[in-house]
Formats: sequence, structure tokens, C-alpha cells
Amino acid sequence: MSRYLARRLGQSLLTVFLTVSTVFVLVRLAPGDPAAAYAGPTATSADLARIREEFGLGEPLITQYGIFLRDLLTGDLGTSYSFHSSALDVVLERMPYTITLSVAAIAVTVAVAVPLGVWMARRADTKRELGANVLTIAGQSMPDFWTGVMLLTVFAVLLPVLPASGFTSWSGLILPTVTVAILQLALVSRLVRREMTTALASPYITVARSRGVSERALTWRYALANSAVPLVTAVGTRFAALLNGVVVVEVVFGWPGVGSLVVRALETRDYPLIQATVLVTATLAILVQLLVDLAYPLLDPRVRLGKAA
Amino acid sequence: MTTTLAPPERPSAVSERHLARSSAARQRRGARVKLWAGAFCTALVALPVALAGLLPLADPNTQDLSRRRLPPLTDGHLFGTDQLGRDLLSRLLHGGQVSLTVGVLAVVVSGLIGIAAGSAAGYFGGWIDTVVSRLLEAQLALPLLMMLLLVVALFGPSVTVITCVIAVAQWPEVARLTRSLVLVEREKPYVAAARLLGLRGWSVLARHIVPNVLRPASLVVLLLLAQAVLLESALSFLGAGPQRPFATWGRIISDGQDYITTSWWLVTLPGLVIALLVVGVNLLGDGLRDRVRTHKPAKGV
Repeated sequence: MSRYLARRLGQSLLTVFLTVSTVFVLVRLAPGDPAAAYAGPTATSADLARIREEFGLGEPLITQYGIFLRDLLTGDLGTSYSFHSSALDVVLERMPYTITLSVAAIAVTVAVAVPLGVWMARRADTKRELGANVLTIAGQSMPDFWTGVMLLTVFAVLLPVLPASGFTSWSGLILPTVTVAILQLALVSRLVRREMTTALASPYITVARSRGVSERALTWRYALANSAVPLVTAVGTRFAALLNGVVVVEVVFGWPGVGSLVVRALETRDYPLIQATVLVTATLAILVQLLVDLAYPLLDPRVRLGKAA
Repeated sequence: MTTTLAPPERPSAVSERHLARSSAARQRRGARVKLWAGAFCTALVALPVALAGLLPLADPNTQDLSRRRLPPLTDGHLFGTDQLGRDLLSRLLHGGQVSLTVGVLAVVVSGLIGIAAGSAAGYFGGWIDTVVSRLLEAQLALPLLMMLLLVVALFGPSVTVITCVIAVAQWPEVARLTRSLVLVEREKPYVAAARLLGLRGWSVLARHIVPNVLRPASLVVLLLLAQAVLLESALSFLGAGPQRPFATWGRIISDGQDYITTSWWLVTLPGLVIALLVVGVNLLGDGLRDRVRTHKPAKGV
């Protein structure tokens, strides 16, 4: 167990390191002068030279990379050019908003998709099930920014019942959450349906039924418990993807999370901020995946970590 | 003298009606409904897009400020005009050509990368498998959309760059599927036979295994195409989409956003067009997958 954990942590660290290094090189290959973005339109060439000197932008790439790695070890990700404060702090300040939105979206998705998937498995191949299936596919097929704009127009402009943008009260969470959840619904409900159809046809269900276990217990306690591992895997993967993937929805709703931050950082060529964002989101996503893997033995006692291929 | 034994005529308890209500028949019907509905929705968008140059439409880039934001169905503008007086339908169809080209090319490129990497990993195992599997895992954790935006910012929003970017985003799906298919396939006797005949690893893989996994692997193609169209529209919504020769769907929606309260059609109609196409492609892909799944047992018998 502890050896497995050590190996997984090592792999995770390597992934994060490679990601951050790739981004480091990529941003520096990009056209656009961060010094000009930092100094603003009125800067003279002397100002620009001074700023380049101060940020070490004139150094060769390899030297910059060395300095970056040295600072990384001490937890220093540099100063954001546009916020004029520690890039890591700026990102960490925004992170709770992105996490809140992702958690809410995943919670709504699971709360709707699991009962829906179970219902679909019990009514497999009926007309109504086909209808529900087509509906979830339609939800998956709408571009999320468009769904967002349409929901905004209907519920914030035409019927002003919900706030239009930003995070002023908890009701501001509703529209972005729904927008993200609509997109995720099809994936999760289809997975639940597939797993449940297989589980409901297994011999242990027949045995339990013949012993007089009620249909309700058969569905929820027997079959669903045995579908838990693939379900948790899928939900974990979706959650990790959401942490990085709610960029578009954040932009539409003016949500003060990491996604809208990164769009702005890209526009202003804010190197430290881009690096810090990628580092934090990648670390978080990898942690979520690791937690999911560690949860397997709790869900299914047959699973032994590190033993299987 | 030979006598043929005819099977005795016995009334069967299973009538046609029972068969029609069986779960296999229902599955087949469901798949057929999906296929037809999917083909209809796809054709409804894809055909006009493909024929955009032949249809009697206004030029998509001709501006006429005196005819700004005309509602749909006025003055021969079926979808109305946008904030600069351009015909919306014409813009959508011409932009759609770019969107669809990007989508199809991206799927082809990601399919090629995915099949090559996935089959090599599955067949050779060892360090190739380690590298490919690690890459697949790493990409799951990457802030993908951020990286895509970064690369587009770096190389400029040309059709080639966006195609490559989407292909890179999508190859893991194909690679993972191909790898698992090849893992099964390589244990089969015909592979051992090919090896005994003296074929080297690469030729066994390319000439014997890959042709056998191509069909099941190609089932994801339509689902990937749907994702590619959505991804392209998201990128262009964020301002990282192709600008030339025509603005694509996401860009048209983001331009129309400012007028949503006064001119609903500028956002609603382009979104419906995207959704219709993607629903169609998704349904087609889904129906195709269902059909293959129900046909499979019959093939094995």
C-alpha cells in the first residue's frame, strides 16, 4: 500500500513537472512582449529595457528555466505582471470559485444522472428510454457557451429571477452549474445504464430475488453497489476535467474563477500567472485522480491496490 | 433409398408479436430510429453547408449598414442580418464550411495518431506501452483547454493550427480504444501464424492486426467528429478560432452576444445550427454503435 502510494505520488510529480516545463517553453516561444503588456502603452524603450532586466526576460531561455526551477522548489512562482502580486496567491484566491462551481456541477450531475441511469436500465429498450436517451444526447450536443448565453437571456434578462453574472450571492451559482451539468448528464447516465443493465442480469440478482429481496433493494443496494467502481472512476475523471474545463462557462457568466483568469493572463502574456494557473490546476486534477484510485478498496473489497496490472 | 426427415410441424408458442416485442428487436428498432434521425439532422445542416457556394445567397462578407439586424424572413434574408448588415444564413453556411473542414481533418489526424500509437503500445508492450500509457494519463490531468488556447495564441488561429490542436486533444480516445483492441487481437492464432511465416513485428502489426481493429476502432470517429465541432466552436467563441476566409460558428455567436436582448436571432439561430449538426452526428454514431453491438453475437455463432 505505502509502496503503491509512493510510486503513484512519484508519477504524479513527474507529470506535473513535465506539464509545467512544457508550458514554460511554450509561453516563451509565443509572440508578444510581456514587458510591453506590463508597462502599458506610454512606456519608453528605456522603461521596457528596465522591466526586461528586472524580470530576467533578457536572459537566455535555459538560464530563465534554471531560475524558474530554483524558485519553484521554494514555492515561489514569480510575480504576476498584471496583478503586481505573487502569481500563486492570485491563482489560489480564484481557485475556491472554480472548485465551488465544479463541485456543484458534479453534485447536480450525479444527483440527476444516477436515478436517470437506473431508470433507463430498468426500462431498457422501451420507447420512453429511447426518448430519455435522445434528450441527454441533445444536452451533450449543445455548445456550453451557447447554453449559457441562452439560460442567461431567459432567466436573467427576460425573467429577471437570477443574477446575470459574477458571484454576488449563492443564487449566482445556479445558472453556471446547470450549464455545466447539462453537458455531463449524457456521459454519466449512459454509464450508469450500461453498468446497471449488466449488474441486473447477473446471477447474484436472481439468487437474491429468489430469496425474496425487494426490487427496490435489488436495484439500489445490490446492483448499484456493484456498479460503484466504474461510476466513481467516471465521476472522478469528469471532476478532474471540470477543474480545468469550466473555462468557457466561467467566461460566459463572468465567474471569478481560474478559467476567466487564464483567458486574461493569455491576453496580457502574463507568464508567471499562466505558469501558476497550469501548475495549480494540474496538481489539483492529479490529486483528484489519485484519491479516486485510493477509494477503490473502500468501494470494492476485492480490489487490492498495486496488485493488479 | 434415402428419406429426408422434415422437422415436425408444431405450433410455436412464440408468435410474431412476441418476437417484435423482444428486447433484441426493440434494440434494433431503437438503433434504426437513432440512425435515421441522426442522418436527417446531419444532412439538414451538412448539405446546405457543403452547397453554400451554389445556393443563391448574399455574399457572407458584404456589409450593408442600412440593413442592420433585420429580423429573420425579411427582404429575402431567411435568417435575418447581423449587426453589420451581413446575411446571417450565408455567414453560417460559409463559416460552417470552415468548421466542418476543421472537424473532419482533426478527426482524420487524431485517428491516424491514435491508431499508430495505440496499436504500437498494445502490440509491442514494453517501453513503448509505458510511454504511450503515461502520455494518455498525463493528458487526462492537463488543463487541456488552457493548453489549446496557449498554442493557438502561440501559432496564430489558422485552420492548420486549430486542426492540429483539436487532433492532439482527441488522440487519447482513439489510442486507448485501439490499444485495448490490439491487446486482444495479438493473442489470436493468425498472429502467431503470421509470425511463424517470418514476418517482422511491424509488418504483422500493419498488415494483419491493424486491418482487423480498424472497423471497431472507426466506430468512435463520428462521436469524435461531434466533439471536434464543439471544441472548435468553443475555441472560436473565446476568440481563438479561424478568422479567414470566414468567421466560424463560435465567433458568430460571440459577436452576436451583445445584441441578445434586441436581436435574439443572432445568437439563437447559430447555436441551433451547431446543436442540430452535433445531435445528428452523435445520434448517427450512437445508432451505429448500438447496431454493431446487437449484431455482434450473431457473427460469433
